[in-house]
Amino acid sequence: MRAAMVWTVVRRESLEILRNRLLVLSIVIPPIVLVITPLVLGSLASIAAATEPLPDDFVKTIVGSRPDWADFAVAELVAAYSLQQFLSLFLILPAYVPLSIATFSIVGEKQTRSLEAVLASPIRTGELLGGKTLSAIVPGMLTSWLAYLLLVVLAGIVLGPRLAGVILDPSWLAAVFLLGPAVGLVSCVAGIIVSSRVNDPRVAQQIGGLIIIPLASIAVIQAVSGFLFGAQQYVVAAIITTIVGIAGLRIANRLFGRETILTRWR
Amino acid sequence: MSVPAPAVRTEGLGRRFGELWALRGVDLELASGEVFGLLGPNGAGKTTTVRLLTSLIAPTEGRAWVDGFEVTADADTVRARVGILTETPGLYDRLTATQNLDFFARLHGLDPATRAERIERFLRLFELWDRRDDLAGTFSKGMKQKLAIARALIHEPSVVFLDEPTAALDPEAAFVVREAIASLRGAGRTIVLCTHNLDEAERLCDRIAFVRGGLLRVDSPARLRGGDGNGGGPSLRVILVEDPTPVQMAAVAAIPGVSHVAAGAAPVDAGVAADASLTCRLTDLRRDAPIVVRTMVEAGAQVIGVHEESRTLEDVYFEVMGRRPQVEGVTGGVDAGQS
Repeated sequence: MRAAMVWTVVRRESLEILRNRLLVLSIVIPPIVLVITPLVLGSLASIAAATEPLPDDFVKTIVGSRPDWADFAVAELVAAYSLQQFLSLFLILPAYVPLSIATFSIVGEKQTRSLEAVLASPIRTGELLGGKTLSAIVPGMLTSWLAYLLLVVLAGIVLGPRLAGVILDPSWLAAVFLLGPAVGLVSCVAGIIVSSRVNDPRVAQQIGGLIIIPLASIAVIQAVSGFLFGAQQYVVAAIITTIVGIAGLRIANRLFGRETILTRWR
Repeated sequence: MSVPAPAVRTEGLGRRFGELWALRGVDLELASGEVFGLLGPNGAGKTTTVRLLTSLIAPTEGRAWVDGFEVTADADTVRARVGILTETPGLYDRLTATQNLDFFARLHGLDPATRAERIERFLRLFELWDRRDDLAGTFSKGMKQKLAIARALIHEPSVVFLDEPTAALDPEAAFVVREAIASLRGAGRTIVLCTHNLDEAERLCDRIAFVRGGLLRVDSPARLRGGDGNGGGPSLRVILVEDPTPVQMAAVAAIPGVSHVAAGAAPVDAGVAADASLTCRLTDLRRDAPIVVRTMVEAGAQVIGVHEESRTLEDVYFEVMGRRPQVEGVTGGVDAGQS
């Protein structure tokens, strides 16, 4: 694989993404919401806990999952628990952005029939696919990482250093920096595979959006049971997700063959 | 002195999609610098031919070489040596004209100085230089087509495949494109032109192939028009005052190189007040026509005029394709009294 070819594709894709106002908004707005919401809800939860204490057995379950929170005051414990729920939402960000970019990119090329001229150049399909995959994953990863860093800084200011420490916990680091990119890869691959079969980016996103279900279920399990996933679980999930992503890339590479695109993509 | 390798060569080239052969048994040789036209109805296999020769799809049977490189084994090299204008311009609408060309120039590995020089040259050639920083999505159909042709030429390929290059262009833009094609030929580039425009094919092409599932006939436009579809030469019509006698017709038929002698009415556009004529087919118009006239006069015929019976490429096209669509009168078939 020639890096110059991949970079040429990344460069072009980036120029197109930046000129697509709708796509840019869909990349920029969710991180802002994801930074502000946990801070607001964390503050509100700690205020509410002062007037309406949590049931003892629920507190025990939380502390059982996170012994390092044992010395937290009840208000801090509630705020920490609320903040922890947003971890799974931080995984939705690297899933959602690559899906949007990949579907717009591939369905867009199908609609304008611009791929034939590209495929008639000396670029190899792996290089083209590599460029498209990178262009889709990197913005999602960067925005989620930037949003995470911003959340850490603002949490330190708004909620105090002890609660900011909750977000700097290894579970967050493993989720944001390991599982996040892996989820981005799977999401991008799903976007490519679905886009090769449909001609409307909205349909592709709706079908590809099914990938969010396992991520949302993490949030639901945590909220209902009081059990909190730790760093180890996120690392294992990252490894499994990466394996799924690589297997998906092989399928996508087959769907992205020159002949397939020219003779079957309609 | 060694003979230069053909720019394009195929041997029994064929491609099947499922059970259907789109193209079969194509044997072809294109000389370097030749402009070669592919004419045929939709679905005849023109685009399949182009895709096979640009290494976009692999042949089911047979082989092909471009600039001496085999389209399957040396696909990367072939793609570096060909330029293609696809059926639709297929531009990136959110990129400027310059950015569109720059992207393809990079894919072909051109260095920055060469990229800049060629982008300016081709944008100026196609009168798009003033719009170089505008998004391609804001361009008219004609401008998009010109930009797509510039894209096909940006790496100065030795063989250029143009699929309907003047479709959707206004007459002025079409003229610019035709001039550009002519100048490419002057620069020694081999051009394969797919077109439905018979007049364009006749004006631009050195040779034309009629395509329908294979190559039905390949020849120069002049020979195609002059022939009878079976290898015969041009036709001559001699306009007479009276119908030709059997003796006169036999005298003409006896001339070497003359065949298909027949009597017939004068053509409507003959421009003379005559109602009789003799037609015949000649091997060589310049040599045989004066002999036919002299023979007729010597046999007692009163000759008013002589016409070369010219056939259009359209006539030949339908003759080769074996069908000419029957068109109902557009104003016929409607009762005046009907509401």
